[in-house]
Amino acid sequence: MNVTQILFWLLSALTVFSALVVITRKNPVYSVLWLIITFISISGHYILLNAQFLAVVNVIVYAGAIMVLFLFVIMLMNLNADAEPQKNKWLQFAGVIAGGCLALVIIAALKNVDAKARIAETGSDIGLIENLGKVLFTQYVLPFEISSVLFLSAMVGAVVIGKKN
Amino acid sequence: MNVLILSIFWGIVMMFSGIALKKKGIATGLAIAGVLILLLGNLGDMSTVVITTSTFNDMLAFRGYNVLFISIVLVATLMYFLVSGREIENVGTGGFDYYALIFFVLTGIVIASSFNNLLMLFLGIEIISIPLYILTGSDKKNLKSNEASLKYFLMGSFSTGIMLLGIAFIYGDSGSLAIVPAPSPFGFSFTSLPTLSAVGALLLMFSLAFKVSAAPFHFWTPDVYDGAPTVFTSFMATIVKAGTFIAFFRMFAGGFASVQGSWGLAMQVIIFLTLLIGNLTAVFQQSAKRMMSYSSIAQAGFMLLAIYAHNDMAKEGFLVYTAAYVLATIGVFALLSRVADPGFQGFNGLAKKEPLLAATTTICLLSLAGIPLTGGFLGKYYMLVATAKAGGPFWLVIFAVICAAISIYYYFRLIIAMYFKEGNPEMAPVSRGLKFWLVVLCVLILALGIFPYEVLLNNLLSL
Repeated sequence: MNVTQILFWLLSALTVFSALVVITRKNPVYSVLWLIITFISISGHYILLNAQFLAVVNVIVYAGAIMVLFLFVIMLMNLNADAEPQKNKWLQFAGVIAGGCLALVIIAALKNVDAKARIAETGSDIGLIENLGKVLFTQYVLPFEISSVLFLSAMVGAVVIGKKN
Repeated sequence: MNVLILSIFWGIVMMFSGIALKKKGIATGLAIAGVLILLLGNLGDMSTVVITTSTFNDMLAFRGYNVLFISIVLVATLMYFLVSGREIENVGTGGFDYYALIFFVLTGIVIASSFNNLLMLFLGIEIISIPLYILTGSDKKNLKSNEASLKYFLMGSFSTGIMLLGIAFIYGDSGSLAIVPAPSPFGFSFTSLPTLSAVGALLLMFSLAFKVSAAPFHFWTPDVYDGAPTVFTSFMATIVKAGTFIAFFRMFAGGFASVQGSWGLAMQVIIFLTLLIGNLTAVFQQSAKRMMSYSSIAQAGFMLLAIYAHNDMAKEGFLVYTAAYVLATIGVFALLSRVADPGFQGFNGLAKKEPLLAATTTICLLSLAGIPLTGGFLGKYYMLVATAKAGGPFWLVIFAVICAAISIYYYFRLIIAMYFKEGNPEMAPVSRGLKFWLVVLCVLILALGIFPYEVLLNNLLSL
C-alpha cells in the first residue's frame, strides 16, 4: 500500500463514520458539527482526485458558510425534546421500507459496475482553477450564464417575501 | 434562442419598471406587451430571423417541434394575462415583481423545452421551480399560503436533489451529459441501459414525475394548489405544468426513447396509479378548487401516455392535449378566482346571475371531460390511439377510457351546481373585457376540437 491508498482508506472510514454519527445523534448541534467533519473528509477525497479547487470551495462554502447557517437556524429554533412532534409509527415503518428499497437498488446497481474499466487518466493540473475557468467560459458558457437567471429570480423572490406590505 | 434572450430581458424590464411606475393596471399592460414581443421572437425562431444561430456546444436545440410547443405556451400565457391580469395585481403589493417572476418561469420553460444537455435540464427545471415557491407564498398574511409555500419548497428541493443524483449516476456511467445515451464501451444493448444509467434514469423519472404531480409523487399537489392564491394556482396548473411536461417528454420520449426496456414498466405503473388516484379522489372532493387540483393529476395521467407511446402520433397529440388542457383550465380558474366560496355550493345558481360566464366555464369543463367537438376530446383520442399503435398494453388503454368516463362525473357536478341548483353566489364584479376574452378562449378550445390537424401539423413538424 502506498501513501495515497492509506490516505484513501483513512478518509473513507472517517467519512462513513462521521456521516453515521450525524444521523444517530439526538442533539442537532452535534449532528451539524459532525457534518462539518464529513464535508472536510470529502474535501480530502477531492484533493486525492486532483480536484484542488473543488476541495477548497467545498471547505469554504459547505463546511464554512452553509454549516454556520445551519447552526444559526438550529439555535434560533431552540429545539428540545418536548418540542419534538409525535411521529406516527406507521409513517416511520413506511419510511424505513422506502429508504431501504432505494438503498437496495443503488447497492445492486453499484455491485454490477466494473470500476476498473471506468478509470479516467487525467493530468495532475486538471483541477486547477485555470482549467476550470477555460471550460466554464468555452464549453459550458451557456449554463454558466443561465444560472445567473436562476440566482436573479431567487433574489427577486427574497425581496418579494421580505418586503413590507 | 430569441425567446430565451427576450424572456430574460423582459423579466428584468418588469423588475425595474416597478420602481418608476406606480399606477395600477400598467404592470398587466407591460406584461401583455412582453408576451407579444416574445411571440414575435418565437416567429423569428420559426423562420430564420434569429439573434444568434449558435447552439453553444449543443446545449439547446430550437427546431420545429420545440418552437411550436413554446408558441403554444406563449399563447396560453397571453390568455392567462388577459383573463387574470387584474387578479395578479390584487395579490399583495408586488404586481411588477410577480410578473418578473412569471417571465423568469417562462425562461425556464423555454430551456426545459429545448435542452440537449442534462445540465440545461436541471437549470430549466430549477428556474421554473424557484419563482413558483415565491408565488405560492405571495399571500403573506394568509397562513395557508405560507404553509403551502414552505411545503412546496421543502418537497421540491428534495425532488431536485433526487434529480441531481440521477444525473450524477448517468454522468458517472456514460461520461457525458448529452440527453441521448451514447453507445459506450461499457456494453450498451439496444433496448435497455446499463444498470448504473438505468438507476439514474429511474431517479430522473421520479423527480420529473414529482414536478408534473404524477402519482405516487402527487401528495404535495392538493395542498399547494389549495393554499396558493387562486390566480397563481391557475398559472401552476396550466403553463408551468405544460413546461415541466415538455422536459419530461424531451427526456424520455426523446433522449431515452430507444432504451424503453429500462423505464417502460415503471412508466406503466406511474400512469396507472396517476389515472386511478387522480380520478377517484377527485370524485370525493367538496371544494371546486381541490377538485381542479385532483383533475390536474388525472389529466397528467393522460399526458404521460404520450411519453410512454412516443411515436409520431403521440408527438402530435401531446401538442393538442397540452393546448386543450391549458386553455380549458385557465378558463375554469378565471371563474374560480372570482367566486367567494370555492366549495361546490358556492356555484349554485350561477347561470342565472352570470349566464355568459357559466356558459364559457361549461365549455371549458366539457373540454376537460373530453366531450366531442372540443379540443379535450381530440387530445384524449390522440393519446389512446397513440398508445394502442405503439403496442402499449391494451388493459392500460381500456383503463384510461374508464377513467375518462369517471372524470365526467366530477366535472358535471360543477355544471349541475351552476345550472340546476338554486342559490345566489357571491362573486367579484366581472368586467366586459374579461367576458370577451373568455369567449375568445372558448372559441379557441372549440377550434382545437374541429381543426384538420393532418395538414397543419405535418407542415410544421417537417420544419
